[in-house]
Amino acid sequence: MSEESISAQFDVYRYDSARGGTPRYQRYTLDLAPHTVVLSALLRIRSEIDPSLTLRYSCRSAICGSCAMQINSKSRLACYTQIGPEMKRHGRVVVEPMRNQPVLRDLVVDQTPFWTQYDRIEPYLKPDPAHPMPEGRPTTMTPEQVDRFKETPRCIACAACYSACPAAEADPAFPGPMALAKLYRFVVDPRDGATQDRLVRIQPNGLWLCLRCHLCTEACPKDVRPSERIRDLKEMAIAVQGSTEHGSRHAVGFKDNLVDLGLLNEMKLVRQTYGAAGMLGQLPQGIKIWRKKPELLRKPHRIEGAEELEKIYAELDRKSEGTK
Amino acid sequence: MKLAYYPGCVAQESGKELDLSTRWVCRALGIELAEFPNFSCCGSGFVDEANEVLNVAINARNLAIAERAGLDVLTICSTCQGMLTLANLRLKDPTVKARVDGALKPLGIEYHQTVKVKHLLRVLTEDIGIPAIRAKVRRPLAGLKVGAFYGCHLLRPADEMGWEDGEEPHAFEDLLAALGATPVYYRGRVMCSGFPIQFVKGETAVAIAGRQVLDAKAHGADAMATPCPLCHITLDGYQNQASKAVHQPLEMPVFHLPQVVALALGASPEELGLSRHLVPTDPALRKVAVTAR
Repeated sequence: MSEESISAQFDVYRYDSARGGTPRYQRYTLDLAPHTVVLSALLRIRSEIDPSLTLRYSCRSAICGSCAMQINSKSRLACYTQIGPEMKRHGRVVVEPMRNQPVLRDLVVDQTPFWTQYDRIEPYLKPDPAHPMPEGRPTTMTPEQVDRFKETPRCIACAACYSACPAAEADPAFPGPMALAKLYRFVVDPRDGATQDRLVRIQPNGLWLCLRCHLCTEACPKDVRPSERIRDLKEMAIAVQGSTEHGSRHAVGFKDNLVDLGLLNEMKLVRQTYGAAGMLGQLPQGIKIWRKKPELLRKPHRIEGAEELEKIYAELDRKSEGTK
Repeated sequence: MKLAYYPGCVAQESGKELDLSTRWVCRALGIELAEFPNFSCCGSGFVDEANEVLNVAINARNLAIAERAGLDVLTICSTCQGMLTLANLRLKDPTVKARVDGALKPLGIEYHQTVKVKHLLRVLTEDIGIPAIRAKVRRPLAGLKVGAFYGCHLLRPADEMGWEDGEEPHAFEDLLAALGATPVYYRGRVMCSGFPIQFVKGETAVAIAGRQVLDAKAHGADAMATPCPLCHITLDGYQNQASKAVHQPLEMPVFHLPQVVALALGASPEELGLSRHLVPTDPALRKVAVTAR
């Protein structure tokens, strides 16, 4: 089936870190079929118009994970993004390098921050010495065990999620969605013997910085759904270590608060998260807000039927105790 | 049109101005609000992190309350919208459903998953409709450039929320245009405000908020507007800290969604609790020739 070609305008980010200067956008206009993928267009620009255009790519089939970049501000694989819908929405295709990693040249970034965070989670199986893997025969897993990591092995480490992540953007300490999704993959692996240690070590300046904004899940070309696996990790981390970090104290405090009153007691929650001494640091801002919003200091009413929440919680808790 | 009004925690406490302005808009547009004093908090995403099944169960209880009354739910918070929608979705998993039913049944609560959860933004743009709202505008917000700030859980995961594109929505901008304002498109409009980690690592949270406000400002916004009171806490309540984090004055008024709608429909600032904001909204009001008494 032939498609009418469209005149597609590409505004491509150009910069060379070796020369410095300010980045600029270079415009190229090509007649292309709407189903053409951005990577094919960029390769045509490079071979026919401008051989200096620099980009990373390899398989052209959304398997190698090399060609992630920003296409009209969304982190995407260039080989997996057609120009037609982009032209329809934006009237042009703005192509920029991935975010959160320094630009080397044009569309190529230095991926050191991304891979350093990946190394941090020790992405390899650490068998339990007390239960060594059987020699010469495969270890077996139940279908239920396999089901727990059906999504994460699909990851091709393209870094589109890392590029899309506002937590990684604001705080280089944050491991990023891919590293945490990979961590999940080892934590739920029944052959791994370091689950508890992994869950304890990832918490300070790590797990709890996830904003659950789900931008990683939108960006992921393989539907790994990192944000949902990070949620799973948080619940497992609380199960292993209780509420020891600001993040886990806030989550558990929120739950206790809700089960008690049915509504959020904002002041009490802050106290639970920071402790009485830590509250002092929050005081100046608290006073600023309180002057405009005096309800802040008031204990909210208990909702009608709040006792139902306690009973729901107790019942779920009792049942889960029974299955352990 | 009658809906079960789910105000959420913030609008009942420190974000009272959101409740006030929601009621004003609903009165003006003929949306009848049924109130249920037994609605609980949605868990705000935090309870989901601590205990996924509990989160589904408490929200199944909320939805069951609306179901018994035969009403769909109106939310006014992106996070409430997300959590209640997620409860409906996760209940499709038979294992989750069985556990939740097991906890609700002894209390005589049953939920049959018939309730739709609708954020005010969706009700305004889909049920009331842009043309009907345009027809009710008494004070067009002409000349006011407004940057919409969606709040994550209203949009994403987009395949679960089942509404707008998760990264390129347009409902809020369409609405702002109908009110006579000029919508500002900027990358930060679909980003996180930083709120979820405000009490985990405050300096990172306000740095995130600062980036989004700065982005709106760089694209010419006179004001921002958000359908999420949690985003409002960070964008407005902590804007002084956000400004320090990005080393620039921001002075960006941040409206709640129903406040901008009500202003265009003719409400006075006093009726909308605008004096409760930490960042004064007067500069934006002056642009549309509204003066607070």
